Amino acid sequence: MHPYAFAGILPCIIRRIQMQTYLAKANAPLLYLIVGVILLFVAGLCVVFMIKSYRAGIKLGMSKQVLKRAITSSATFTVLPSVSILLGVIALSGSLGIPMSWLRLSVIGNLQYEATVAQIAAENMGKKLDSAILSMNDLVTIMLVMTIGISLGCLLSITVLKKYSHALQHKPAASTSTKKTKSFSSFAMVAMFIGLCATFLGSYIAQAIVYKHMLPVYTAIISAIAMGIFEYLATQKGFTVLENFSLAGSMILGMAGAILISL
Amino acid sequence: MKDKSFDYNIYLEDIHTTGRIGLSLGLLMLLAAPFLFALVSGAHFNLQGLWPALVKVLIIYIPSSIVEFLIYVPMLGPGACYLAFITGNITNLKIPCAFSARDIAKSEIGTPEDEIISTLSVATSSLITMLVIFLGVLLLIPLTPVLENPVMKPAFDNLLPALFGALSMQYFKKNVKLAVFPLAFMVVLCVLIPSMITQTSTLLIANGAIAIGLAYLMFKKNWL
Repeated sequence: MHPYAFAGILPCIIRRIQMQTYLAKANAPLLYLIVGVILLFVAGLCVVFMIKSYRAGIKLGMSKQVLKRAITSSATFTVLPSVSILLGVIALSGSLGIPMSWLRLSVIGNLQYEATVAQIAAENMGKKLDSAILSMNDLVTIMLVMTIGISLGCLLSITVLKKYSHALQHKPAASTSTKKTKSFSSFAMVAMFIGLCATFLGSYIAQAIVYKHMLPVYTAIISAIAMGIFEYLATQKGFTVLENFSLAGSMILGMAGAILISL
Repeated sequence: MKDKSFDYNIYLEDIHTTGRIGLSLGLLMLLAAPFLFALVSGAHFNLQGLWPALVKVLIIYIPSSIVEFLIYVPMLGPGACYLAFITGNITNLKIPCAFSARDIAKSEIGTPEDEIISTLSVATSSLITMLVIFLGVLLLIPLTPVLENPVMKPAFDNLLPALFGALSMQYFKKNVKLAVFPLAFMVVLCVLIPSMITQTSTLLIANGAIAIGLAYLMFKKNWL
């Protein structure tokens, strides 16, 4: 073998070893145990709330049938979206490992938040969400940023939810000006997401123009087309069940497209 | 039949106490997780990257967290909110699930019955999600070598393009006019200054502000 050919292969081998080492560490059994304990606690909290509200419902004079129907309908309603969240765990596990993805998508946040914040944290360490580049130092830093960033909802619940819900119970009818502000707040949320999407999509288009690095833009196009098809089938053809899978399904198709293009 | 000794306000007090204690402990455990991961794997936090990342994330997510809190509490009620904020997936799962359960139970908005149905619904939904993901993870562990196969790498490297391609289709469709300028701004800026391509975390704050500013102008002019 020509020495230059070997020099080219060597960094690839080292990168591959680094990748395996990082993912092996990120998927260590002890990390599963930590995640399992935390999730068990949150599941216990859910059970406590269920028992308390069920007993209160009975004491309020609600029929057992209505309460049981609320439980069974919620359980059946949740199964499909949960499978979609599971697909998100699979998608994140390739770069962040299974235990962390399992924790992050089982409690607080959602796929969109977790992926965006992971990218922001990785970028600020001069990295990207690539298992060949990331180290365990990066992983724990990303995890801390993700956790702190989403904690405000919990903190507000602990500190002001009681006062806020009391205030709501005695709230006078909303004035016209509050209604107007409220309606803009929904536009503001959509606008914020449009800004977020435009930033990432714009960077992929620019990468394609400047560096001829086409894979991200092709992946984005495939998942956008898939999302369009899912939405068309759900809204125009009555396959409403697909609404639950549109985001995760489009992502999986986009990512599968990236594999096929790279072959 | 209604139990005359039952006081709904006492029930609410109990829910608040349990919620506050439960969430405090849950949040502490979640915040401890990165430190435990670091301890187990011998890793250290990258403090140079941590602070700027945190500032950017908080600039983006503090306003949206406050808005979400103000909107979700009247929609779900206290019991459901305590659980929803610790279990996540609120917009995409917990709210539609609670609304569907209320429809089925035919409870009236703002009544104690409504609060109880919402709490039951969000608690059930959270448990089912955790169970489905747990079963999925059990199946996923034997598949780890497949997921780590280099052939799969392009897929995981392009997680974000896949996410934002799909989301762009979803959100741009809601208001194409609003999407044109932020997208064009980002493309032109990154083409003229290519180093900006790797600065998405900073630019998304600016681009988000541009989009919200534009939305406000369009809202004022009734163009939305």
